[in-house]
Amino acid sequence: MKPSPSTLANITNALARHRVLSVAIALMILPFVMPYEALAINILVFGLFAMGFNLLFGYMGMLSFGHGAFLGMGGYLTGISMVHFSLPWGVAILIGVLGAALGGLVMGFLAIRTRGIYFSMVTLALGQIIYYIFYKAESLTGGENGLRGVKVEAFSVFGFTVDFLNPVTKYYFIFLFVLAAIWFISRILNSPLGAVMEAIRENEKRAAACGFNVARTKLLVFILSAGICGLAGSLRALHLSIVPIDSLHYLQSGQAVMMSILGGMGTFFGPFIGAAVMLYLEDVITSFTTHWMLVVGLIFMFFVLFFPQGIWGSILHKLPLSKNSK
Amino acid sequence: MTGLTLDLLCMQMLTGIALGSIYALLALGLCLIFGMLTVVNFAHGAFFMVGAFLGVFFLGLTGNFWFSLLLVPLITGVMGLFTERFLVRPMYGRGIDYPLLLTFGLSYVLIELTRIIFGIEGMPSITPAGLTGSVNVGFGYFPKYRLFLILATAVIILCIWLFIQKTRYGLIIKAGSRDQEILKVLGVDIAKVWLIVFAVGTAIAGLSGILASPTRSVNPEMGIPILAESFVVTVVGGMGSPVGAVVAGLLVGIVYSMTSLFAPELAELSIFVLMAVVLIIRPQGLFGKAGLMG
Amino acid sequence: MSLLPHTTILEARNLTMYFGKFRALNDVSASFTAGSLTAIIGPNGAGKSTFFNLLSGAFPPSGGEIIFNGDNITGQQQYEFPRLGISKSFQITNVFKKLSVHENVRVAAQMEVSRFNFLKNAQSYPDPIAVAEELLRRVNLEKLRDRKAGDLAHGQQRALEIAMALACNPSLLLLDEPTAGMSPEETLVMMDLIRTLATERTVILVEHKMKLIMGLCQRIIVLHHGEFLAEGSPEEIQSNAEVRRVYLGQS
Repeated sequence: MKPSPSTLANITNALARHRVLSVAIALMILPFVMPYEALAINILVFGLFAMGFNLLFGYMGMLSFGHGAFLGMGGYLTGISMVHFSLPWGVAILIGVLGAALGGLVMGFLAIRTRGIYFSMVTLALGQIIYYIFYKAESLTGGENGLRGVKVEAFSVFGFTVDFLNPVTKYYFIFLFVLAAIWFISRILNSPLGAVMEAIRENEKRAAACGFNVARTKLLVFILSAGICGLAGSLRALHLSIVPIDSLHYLQSGQAVMMSILGGMGTFFGPFIGAAVMLYLEDVITSFTTHWMLVVGLIFMFFVLFFPQGIWGSILHKLPLSKNSK
Repeated sequence: MTGLTLDLLCMQMLTGIALGSIYALLALGLCLIFGMLTVVNFAHGAFFMVGAFLGVFFLGLTGNFWFSLLLVPLITGVMGLFTERFLVRPMYGRGIDYPLLLTFGLSYVLIELTRIIFGIEGMPSITPAGLTGSVNVGFGYFPKYRLFLILATAVIILCIWLFIQKTRYGLIIKAGSRDQEILKVLGVDIAKVWLIVFAVGTAIAGLSGILASPTRSVNPEMGIPILAESFVVTVVGGMGSPVGAVVAGLLVGIVYSMTSLFAPELAELSIFVLMAVVLIIRPQGLFGKAGLMG
Repeated sequence: MSLLPHTTILEARNLTMYFGKFRALNDVSASFTAGSLTAIIGPNGAGKSTFFNLLSGAFPPSGGEIIFNGDNITGQQQYEFPRLGISKSFQITNVFKKLSVHENVRVAAQMEVSRFNFLKNAQSYPDPIAVAEELLRRVNLEKLRDRKAGDLAHGQQRALEIAMALACNPSLLLLDEPTAGMSPEETLVMMDLIRTLATERTVILVEHKMKLIMGLCQRIIVLHHGEFLAEGSPEEIQSNAEVRRVYLGQS
């Protein structure tokens, strides 16, 4: 018995009106749906990375190829705080987020004077600066081998023992942060800034004629997006206990792009869906071939050619929906 | 700083020009594609890599460098034909990001296919017979091959320049994508022009690859940093400016080379810093026109 | 908003504009009285659009100054103009096509409110919403409030543009060929709207249709080849020999 389009539409509408709650529920049961917890945690982290990226790409229409730098900065700054300065994880996460946001301020300031495909080229190249800086600062970052030894000691909160060696506990710990960030993104999109973002994406000149400082808005969103990606990086560092050098590379940025397109850019659920699908597929396919890069390249090209709206975007497109359900 | 002589500086300068020649050629290829199709080919580095692999392969197979030098760009050019016709063209009218995204995906495919066909280790690079060894250039002994590189790319760039300035097709390319409607009205088959220009662009990338192959390690990942470096050259030179591409290419090569002399740790970083400085002082690049962006 | 009669609200002094080597505007000066309705006319290529774009802040002039209410606003950025109280509509309809009619105006009205605020819910600011509703009623688009702006008929889109231009409550309204592409019925409706608007604020429009202007405006400025040709009341312009030569010589 196939549900009618209107039933599906009703479900989608309901999901959209309580989007943060929907994501929360889906993510809470995720570890039990996935074959193992590490995959679920990866989905959490990269889903957040993609969502942060999507704020700039999907909602502002700015295709940055340098966001890997923020994932990496968040990870490295958090890791360095803990490994070299023995700071507690809470402070370390904060440093990671703020550091990434600061990086976003600098990169954004330089990149925003360009537009369109030029912007993509510039962000790619600027991201590489950060890559090379961290690569060369071997004493702090471990260079090519990455930063090792990012350990979170077991701690107690409200009588609960949070032991990072327990993957399920680790999952829910990270889940709380990710949920908070998702709630934050939802707030942004619903705020006056969200409306201005949409206006700028639609028609920059018009937005300026209405009185909006386009450059400053772009910079603000760039910074917010960088901070969120930084948080994803910080959480990843805590999860893996290492920070790989490749997280700063533009190929990592490319992964965020792919996840966003796969899931549906400019939609709320899209990036997470894209991350989940991509990571799950990678897990399955790498178990019987080493040529995952070929597969993902082909899949990505396929989506760009035939399903540019992504999985979730295509679903939304096919259903009769009320306005605002994204 | 003992040992720092004028001779040494000149040698390093010449090395920089050799490196810069490759950058200039690569950036020129990117620029042609962008100027005509408003597409940034994110697979440019991958085509460079394919060119290098094919170059080493055919050189090893036939022992004839000149034959390989002609064959390789032909092959990558044909690859470009297929890419434009079946991948890029359907994206026309969709939005400027789509061809970029598509070619990015293509680069993944090309890299992995190369790994499958040629293995993940890469191939040992071969310097063609007759171009090995060094030659006395007055202030020292400079590798013969790199000298050849400088001369060869200069000739190639000159040919391209002549093509653009003197032929009918060249005129159409000069008119560029801004006047497409006018060109169509004048009876120009724009689709064919796009096809050819894209193929020329990828042919140039492949040619750069085989030319560069004796000077660096040939592995499937070699095109990845090349893409970033091509973008640096484009930003410094100015998007859409062929003159900018060549001048900036040489400049970037020289900056890299000179920095290697004084602070080898910072060489890779230096060219990106150059780009950042240009972005701050003159965002449209040295030869770019303001407003040409986006 | 009461306007003192005979105050100069806008003054263009010696405006010159070069696009590369091409001189689009040469030393044009004009004064606009508060509360007036002025039209800028001229044959094709006269420089009307350029003059309009300079007055509305699209780009800075190559030479000359723009004085608004006594302040020199030359070179200020586009987004600052609505805050000064100068609003414009575009020659080619320029609305947010994917947003709804209501959202279009609400966004324009939001300018006064924390536009950088990303923590409060947009629905909790009643003023932009109320202003948007009111403006839609003014241009008779309230019934179409949830329709996508891109789906509107041409005339309705132009009306939407006017609503958006009014959202910041401008004291000076600049309209670039507001009736372009409209049917005769739509043109009449727009003319009425403009007439009403002119009683509340200063209006400057660029227009092609002579009949429209003659019946509507108090003052007309004629440009030709980027230079000032003549100005005066409709009767004065109609009987101006130079103007007749320029226009009749065209066809």
